[in-house]
Amino acid sequence: MINSKSPLLRLDSVSHQFGAQHVLHDINLDVPWGQFLSLVGSSGVGKSTLLAIILGILAPSAGKAVMEGRVIKAPGRDRGIVFQRYALFPFLTALENVAIGLRFDRIRLIDRVVKFWRTRREWKAMLAEAAAQLERFGLANAIDQYPHEMSGGMCQRVSIAQTLIMKPKLLLLDEPFGALDEASRVHQQEMLLQLRSENEQARNVGREPPFTIVIITHELSEAIYVSDRIIALSRHWDWSTEGYSQFPGATVVYDEFTPPFPRSRELSRSGMREQHAEIRRVALESDCRVQRARAEMSCK
Amino acid sequence: MIRQPISWPSRVTLGIASLVLVMAVYTSLSYRQRLSHPQDRTIPSWGQISNDGVVRALQSQHGGSDDSWLWADSKASLVRLFGGIAIGATLAIVVGVLTACYSSVESFCLPMLAFLSKLPPTAMLAVLFVMAGTGYEMYVAMIAFGVFPTMTQSVFHSARDVPSELIWKSYTLGASNAECIWDVIIKQILPRLVESIRSQIGPAMVYLVAAEMLVGDVGFGYRIKIQSRLLDMSVVYVYLAILGVAGLVMDFALVRLRQRLCPWYAQ
Repeated sequence: MINSKSPLLRLDSVSHQFGAQHVLHDINLDVPWGQFLSLVGSSGVGKSTLLAIILGILAPSAGKAVMEGRVIKAPGRDRGIVFQRYALFPFLTALENVAIGLRFDRIRLIDRVVKFWRTRREWKAMLAEAAAQLERFGLANAIDQYPHEMSGGMCQRVSIAQTLIMKPKLLLLDEPFGALDEASRVHQQEMLLQLRSENEQARNVGREPPFTIVIITHELSEAIYVSDRIIALSRHWDWSTEGYSQFPGATVVYDEFTPPFPRSRELSRSGMREQHAEIRRVALESDCRVQRARAEMSCK
Repeated sequence: MIRQPISWPSRVTLGIASLVLVMAVYTSLSYRQRLSHPQDRTIPSWGQISNDGVVRALQSQHGGSDDSWLWADSKASLVRLFGGIAIGATLAIVVGVLTACYSSVESFCLPMLAFLSKLPPTAMLAVLFVMAGTGYEMYVAMIAFGVFPTMTQSVFHSARDVPSELIWKSYTLGASNAECIWDVIIKQILPRLVESIRSQIGPAMVYLVAAEMLVGDVGFGYRIKIQSRLLDMSVVYVYLAILGVAGLVMDFALVRLRQRLCPWYAQ
């Protein structure tokens, strides 16, 4: 039973450094059930490091990441991930890519040998389930195609379908718009808004919202457009006044909700414009200024 | 321009031309040799190869058995070759994949593999002779020992090249360690495993022929050694041609196997 009062994901004073290089400092974050959260920041600020910590492939140097009260120590079935470069299994068709998670989840490897015929029947049922999922994502015609035969947008949709069919408690999207053309980006945004509206519908009838998503991106406009809440990381915060003699790592410099959803067009436009300008000022421009200054110094 | 493609007919014509060139050079050498020594068999004519070499390979009986030379030698060499490759490749795949998956296995195995891969298997023949005798086991051990270190390193690097994202994703989809190895890593590197076996057929044949020449009493290496000592090369050339064709057939079969098992690998 979901306890909606306790957060699904909690980052508790998470800091990380690679050798002498400080990357993240004192990140505290609660992600409640059903929230669409975007994590933004300039390149190299530590977004991917934070994603790796949430995914469980990197242990933080200090603090802890907690999922439903349990400290995250390894990648697990409760967190789904969609990578920027899709990470589809190249040796499986789109249909098999979507179905393979169901097989991992429901059939043990030994049973595939010992109970061959029964598990074969079950695999066929899983393929039918995966076909229905692909149809929902508009990929009914691509079920027999291998990843190298599909466009980037199609691969991204297969990857999202592959992850969502497992109904993960938390969906992590790593730069989901980064490698796509304009048409595919719009399609992807619409798909995320569709998931968001399903959350709204669930709330309206008193059910728990089904999707909790953390999006790692440097696309500010898209982050505001599809999310409930924006977190911005920056390297340029006033760490010297807090008693540090050297840079301790990037930290959260912005944490605000986006305009309410569904939005009226006017409210949406003005609110999003203001928020966009605010995040740029607080988190991105300071990083850009420093990068520009460093570039000018190196030119001289 | 470098890497400029050529048409298919040009490709076939050039391939045939290289074969014709080798045959023409051989014919010329053979003809000149027989002008000075008409009964010479060190560079036999095409007629001597077909009328004498082929006939003797097919009709001479090996030892006290009813088997012809060619049949007895083919049986012995093929069984040794496939036995050695099967055992060497299986061990290499198991050890190579585990080495790539677990750092403790890597630390344990890699230094010894690096050392073993530098040892020429033919130099180990004396050791294998003492440990495994001169029978079937010795040939299989020789080939397996020759194939194992190089192929293990190749499998290790292939498995290491599997993108980490695929492994992480499989865990998020609920895979166990065993499923991750079998369903992700092995499936991903399968075409490269077939390629590794393909690349080891040539060296395996070298080890086999060398061992048969040294201690064999039947097999391709043994027959080539005996006939070349008698300076009777007509049978030797027949055997060389069969070895070459057998290598090509195995190579072709493995390419087809890879295409069948891994249709996604075409690109």
